[in-house]
Amino acid sequence: MIETVRTLLAQNGIPATEAEIAALAAGYPALRASVDALYAPTEVRYLDPALRFRADAVGPATDWF
Amino acid sequence: MTTLTEAAAALRAGATTSRALTEAAIATADRLDARTGTYLTRFDEGALAAADRADGELASGRDRGPLHGIPFGVKDIIATADGPTTAQSLVLDRTWAEGRDAPVVARLKAAGAVITGKVTTMEFAVGMPDVEKPFPVPRNPWDLATWPGGSSSGTGSGVAAGMFLAGLGTDTAGSIRIPAAFCGITGLMPTFGRVPKSGCVPLGYSLDHIGPMARSAADCAAVLEVIAGPHASDPDCVDAPFAAPELGGDLSGLRVGVVHAGHFPEGSDPAALPAFDAATAQLAAMGATLLEVELPFLAEMVTADMLTLACEALAYHRTDVPTRWPDFFAATRAILAQGALVSGADYVQAQRMRRAAQLALGRLLTEVDVIACPTATIGAPALQGFLDGSASVMDVFGFIHTPYWDSVGNPVLALPMGETAAGLPLSLQLAGRPFEEAVVLRAGAALQSMTDHHLRVPPLVTEPAAAA
Repeated sequence: MIETVRTLLAQNGIPATEAEIAALAAGYPALRASVDALYAPTEVRYLDPALRFRADAVGPATDWF
Repeated sequence: MTTLTEAAAALRAGATTSRALTEAAIATADRLDARTGTYLTRFDEGALAAADRADGELASGRDRGPLHGIPFGVKDIIATADGPTTAQSLVLDRTWAEGRDAPVVARLKAAGAVITGKVTTMEFAVGMPDVEKPFPVPRNPWDLATWPGGSSSGTGSGVAAGMFLAGLGTDTAGSIRIPAAFCGITGLMPTFGRVPKSGCVPLGYSLDHIGPMARSAADCAAVLEVIAGPHASDPDCVDAPFAAPELGGDLSGLRVGVVHAGHFPEGSDPAALPAFDAATAQLAAMGATLLEVELPFLAEMVTADMLTLACEALAYHRTDVPTRWPDFFAATRAILAQGALVSGADYVQAQRMRRAAQLALGRLLTEVDVIACPTATIGAPALQGFLDGSASVMDVFGFIHTPYWDSVGNPVLALPMGETAAGLPLSLQLAGRPFEEAVVLRAGAALQSMTDHHLRVPPLVTEPAAAA
């Protein structure tokens, strides 16, 4: 588990300490279980995500300042 | 201590002035801020000048509305031209937003609000304080040994202690409602897209909400009326008119869904359930009809909130992560790292799950008009464990019931409903349909017309000056 977490962090450029890697590895099974549970409900099987790409939307019409 | 709404009335009656309100706010900050860690930057001189302008305008007959002349705190992840925006972080580029007002701050100023300063947050609006970093540790005015909640900690403690009458917070997993709960004040997370969030350092792009924190529902309605509305800089922000509703005590015809399931885990404070039941009984006494309900996909929405937040935050900070890792707060690092432990497919699945929950919740909200549930079922937790690393924010999140609502985007009002045996505030959430803030504000104001939990003041505020 520690090696999995170490690899994932490294792939994302995160220079975590050994203590941080150990703490994240300890919580990783519970994290994976809760994330995997998102695939379980039948209601979501054929549902689109709550995000949309629009060809005519190129971003904010103005900057905010 | 007065409410924003009472102060606005007193200003117009000639019973006070903006200068008097601002001087009182400054005096309170002078007395208490070193202990509560509320401010990062104070604008005393500019605030007094703005107060004098507000008084001059009122004297000459120009009235900008209920925020005119009102002392106001701004969370330090929202840009203000008056001073630096730090996000309470060593990492944020100090030139970002320098000299500029976020649209919400520009709207407050145009409405005559007196900005008293920038107030503390958890770093980048997430995590916990880090004593190894050169920033104040926010403390709860109800008990300085406890956490005021976060991430809008300074806004919560500042309103509770009387350092300003209202403030801006942001909410991505509960950051308006948690400090509102632990500090005994009222906070409104508006519908996602109700208030422009440009000019605010992003945490979770699809989850972030800017909203008011004040003493009462009526106060929050007055602030929302000013800050709501579309802005061309925020493509998420929609044109949905809001006007502060007529507030009264009659709730006849209102159907309230009451949630117990999944909200009172073992270890909850013994006073939480009786306080919640008393609050909903009071709603019924004012004419509301109660119906026991359950929140659809509760556990999934908590996961979706945390997963989405971590991924979107990591994307924003990714270029700084390899070189600035030690400069981030420890708790911020822990949350950013979570974003690396899930896949792109997981992120998309969370967004599909959010859609499923929105649809199911929408069906539930055809049967009821408002959903009531506790904000948290504990009082403010002890701070020391978070500071020395022996406790984690995740240890208390089982008792905090806010992330669900960020995932679905509905408006939620958090308001005091009682206190623990130790005198720490407990809080109720009232959620409504998207863009129906007026309905939850009406219910909240009705409850506050019959109770005084929102008017309680921390003993610290009224203690003799010699004890300060």
